[in-house]
Formats: sequence, C-alpha cells, structure tokens
Amino acid sequence: MSIREHSSIQAVRTEGRIARNRVRDSLPSFPGVPYLYILPFFIFFAVFLAFPVVYTLYLSFFEYHGVGEGFLFAIDLGVFAVEVPRISNVEFVGLENYTRMVGDGLFWLSMWNTVIITVFQMPLMVLVSLGVALALNASFIKLSGLQRTLIALPVSANFVAYSTIFLMIFSEQFGLANYVIQLVGFEPIAWQSDRWWARVMLAITLDWRWMGYNMLILFAGLQNIPGRLYEAAEIDGASAWQKFRYVTVPQLKPMLLFVIVLSTVGSMQLFSEPFIITEGGPSNSTITILYYIYDQAFVYFNLGYASALTYVLVGVVTALSIIEMKIGGED
Amino acid sequence: MSVASKKPDLPVQFGVYISLLIVIVLTLVPFYWMIVGATLPQDQFFTYPPRFLPGTHFFENLADLRDRFPYLLSIWNSIFVATVYTVLSLFLCSLAGFAFAKYEFAYKEYLFYFILATVVLPVQIMIIPLFLLMANFGLLDTHIALILPFAANPVGIFLMRQSMKSIPDSWLDSARIDGASEFQLYYRIALPSVKPALAALAVILFLFQWNAFLYPLVVLTSEELFTIPLAIERLVGQHRLYFDQIMVATALAIIPITILFLLLQKYFVRGFAGTAYQP
Repeated sequence: MSIREHSSIQAVRTEGRIARNRVRDSLPSFPGVPYLYILPFFIFFAVFLAFPVVYTLYLSFFEYHGVGEGFLFAIDLGVFAVEVPRISNVEFVGLENYTRMVGDGLFWLSMWNTVIITVFQMPLMVLVSLGVALALNASFIKLSGLQRTLIALPVSANFVAYSTIFLMIFSEQFGLANYVIQLVGFEPIAWQSDRWWARVMLAITLDWRWMGYNMLILFAGLQNIPGRLYEAAEIDGASAWQKFRYVTVPQLKPMLLFVIVLSTVGSMQLFSEPFIITEGGPSNSTITILYYIYDQAFVYFNLGYASALTYVLVGVVTALSIIEMKIGGED
Repeated sequence: MSVASKKPDLPVQFGVYISLLIVIVLTLVPFYWMIVGATLPQDQFFTYPPRFLPGTHFFENLADLRDRFPYLLSIWNSIFVATVYTVLSLFLCSLAGFAFAKYEFAYKEYLFYFILATVVLPVQIMIIPLFLLMANFGLLDTHIALILPFAANPVGIFLMRQSMKSIPDSWLDSARIDGASEFQLYYRIALPSVKPALAALAVILFLFQWNAFLYPLVVLTSEELFTIPLAIERLVGQHRLYFDQIMVATALAIIPITILFLLLQKYFVRGFAGTAYQP
C-alpha cells in the first residue's frame, strides 16, 4: 500500500456509504472476472481431484485388466472435438471386490496392525505433548521459546529420512536403543524380529516425529486462553489443580480434540515408516492398511480391489473422526 | 500468557525442568546420531559399543555416496519439484481465493463449500486414478506428473479466502478509480496484503511435496528423476550395508530443512496451527 493509495482510501471513506455505492455503480463492471479467476483452480480441481475421487469409487466395482486404449466417447463439435479417453481396461464385477475383503485374512491383519500401532502410539504422544505444552506455558519457565523450538525440530524431518535413522537406532545388534537398554541392565529387545516389539518400535518412531507438532498446536491453544479466566478463578480461591480442571481443560478441549482426530487420521494412513523400517514384517505384523493397498495396487496391479480397499479406508477414517468428535463433544 | 501467577515450590520447578530436559535430549538424539553416522568411516560406525563422537569423514562418505548414486541430482529434483509445485499452487489458490473473498458471483457459496468438503479426503484416494491418468497422458516417469496433481489445494484456497476477506473493499474501489485493471487489483493489492498467509501456505505446500513418498514411488521409475525420499528408499533397499553413506543422504535431506525451520519458524507454526493438515 502506498501513501497515495491510503489517502485515496480516506477520500472514498469520507464520501460516505451512499456516495461509495454510487462510485461503485459507475465503475466499469466485469461480470466475467471472478469466473476467470476461479477457472484455473477448477480445471486442476476437476481433473486431478474430483475426477480421481469419483473414479476410485467406479473402479472399486470393476476388475482391472490394464491401461485403457481408445476413447470412452468422442463428440465432434465441428470447431473442436470432445474426446474422453478410456483410461483403463476393466470388467464389471459388482460388489465382488467388497465381498472379497471379508475372507481376506491379510486385509483384516493390516487393519488390526494399524489399530494396534495407533493404540500404542497416540495416548503417549498426546499426554507428553500436552505435558510439555503446559510446562512451557508456565510462568516460571525460562527460555520457553528456545525449548519449544528444540522440541519442535522433528516437524521438519522428511518422513523417509527420519525413518532411516530409526531403522539404525533400532538395529538389534548395533543400534543405539539396545545399547542403552543393555547399559541399564536389561536384555536386548528384538525390535525387528518380534511382532509386538516391531509395532512398539513403530509407535515410538511416530511419537518422536509428531510429538513436537502436536505440542505446537496445544501450546497455541493454551496461549489463546484469556488470562482473565485465571484471574477470576484466583479471586474465587481456586487451587492450581482446580484452575487446571475448570479453566484449562474446558478451554483447551477443542484443540485437544483436534489433535486426537488429526493423529487418528494420520495413523490410519501410515505408510512410509513401516515401508522403510520393517518392510511390513516380521510375518506381516506391521503391514498397515495403506501399505496393503499399495501392494495390491502397484505390486499385484489389482487396481479394482485396491480401490475398494481405499474406499473402506476412507470410510473407517471418517467413522473414527465422527465417533471421536461425538465423544469429545459431550459433557 | 502465564498459567500460574504464583510460582510453585522449588522442587516442583526443578522436576519440570528435568522433565523438559529429558524430552529435549530424546528429541535431539536421533539428529545427533545421524551426524555421528554421517561423519564416521563405515568400519567405525557399526561397532559395539556404538561410537558417540562424530568423526571427520563426511566428505569421503559423500564422495562414496556420489559414486553409488546420483544423490545430488535427487536433492536438486526435490527442490525443483517442490518449488514449481509451490509456485503453481500459490497462484491457483490465491487467484481463486481472491475471487471467493472479494467478488460476487452465482453459486459462490456452494462452489466454495464443495471445494472445502474435499479437505477431509485423504490424498491416497486419488492415487490409483492419477496413476492411470498419467499413464494415458504419457506423463509417467516425469516431474510434471508430480507437480500437476494436488496443485488445486482445498486448504490453500481456504487460507487465501480467509486472509483476503480482511482486505477492505474501499482499497479495491479506490484502486479501480485510480484506473487499476482487475488483474492489478490481484497482484498489486491482494497478494502483497496477505504476504504472511502466503508464506505460511508456501511452507505447507513445499513440505507436502518435499515429504511426498507414496505417489512419487508409484509414478517415477528412473533414478535420475528420483526425489530425496525415493533416493533414500533405493539406497536403503539396495545398498543397505553402506550406512555411512545413507546417513550422509539423510543428513543432507534433514539439515537444510531444519535450518529453514529455525529461520522461518513463525510461518511453520502459523501453517501448522492454522490448518487441519497432516501431509
């Protein structure tokens, strides 16, 4: 904004509302302008977002036989032709892809693995990030900003790169984790070869990556609680615990719910970490649902079945988010 | 600002500090371990007990890595793809966001909420059709295939509309009186007045593309086109023994972005806290 523009704003303002409307009416009108502005976005949106979302649903009722050739339909309009290519060669199978899941043991195992890893991972992460956010928000803490920055550092770590570091930390023979565990007098842990420890290892890895991120969100939420609420509670003689219970918790609840829903949605889409660190093993105990979809789609090229699995995943994610918001919205 | 106006007892304060210190150490250990691994010669890294002090072998390891894999090219590919994607997406989102914030047109609300509703859809739902589309367009194994999808970003258009709503109509009207064209309103007034929001969105978009793994894994096959995540995956998958070099690769992937995070922290935080987006 230049000074000249500012002064002309003032001039328009002083003319008053009626005068301004008259000015606006006298301006040349460009009815097409907003459409022109949203057009590029909508072209990309239609081709790369709306179409794929619908096409995945469509594919879930078909069996895939390879990339398509020719056109689904072509209309010659004289000036130009509308040609919609057949992008895949498919055969209608009705609900077969969905009924197939019922008897697919690996599908259920991948669901189970995903849920188990989430259950191991999320409570610890939410509790620690809440605790850290509360501590950093306390008045007596020095260097709160610096500590916040250090704890938030993992938010900048590339998924595949940090997974690789944890692959080494949890190496059974030479890893740092087992070294420290033996140092304090325990037996080394079979991180890579025991089904349950492999899931715990992934949970720890995810906690490291996302704790700081959630702490930042919760910290922002704490900062937004108006100070007068605490002052009022103090005047009423509330103890520290009471202030936490009756001011902080209710005020922070929307943010806490946000963090929990976000984490659930994120864990249900877990892929890079098991792909890099465990490769789904040992004995498929860390194959997540998205990992299984990837295998079905791009290793076996069962694109129809993979599409059906994708829609089931989306359904589960949506259902879980709604349930969490319902539970969180009560009381 | 502060939760408690009265300071708690000293032992409590001490306990809080110790707890925070533990969290900070646990946060930093993997970074430190990465640096140790990247700077030690290979035969000294996989030893028992593990080494705890960094060595001086970084450039030798880097040279070995470059003999094994065109990794510097992967870094360039990642920067190139993420930058072009970010610029394209910022343009699409800000232009459309401006229309939704400052113009009236038919079905405006419906269109906007239709776009916004797609925020809840996970990116994975589009991958199979995107793969087929790119196969049909002949764009498999190209960077264009990474850049075009996800450019029309619902989070982006939402952020742009929200921040541009606060631009006073009178600014736009007076600029029109001064003879500005409609497009000048966009790039002379709207864009400069939402710079912080643009920066926050740029961070979100850049990191989204920078971290993307599953979709590039599906689309790219040539090593010389690989982005950083694919390159590291290939190294881990096929050259698992050379962990010194793999740690150099991860260090080069993580350290520059960490420095960027330290410099642009407020935009990172604004981007994270302002959106429901876990890329």
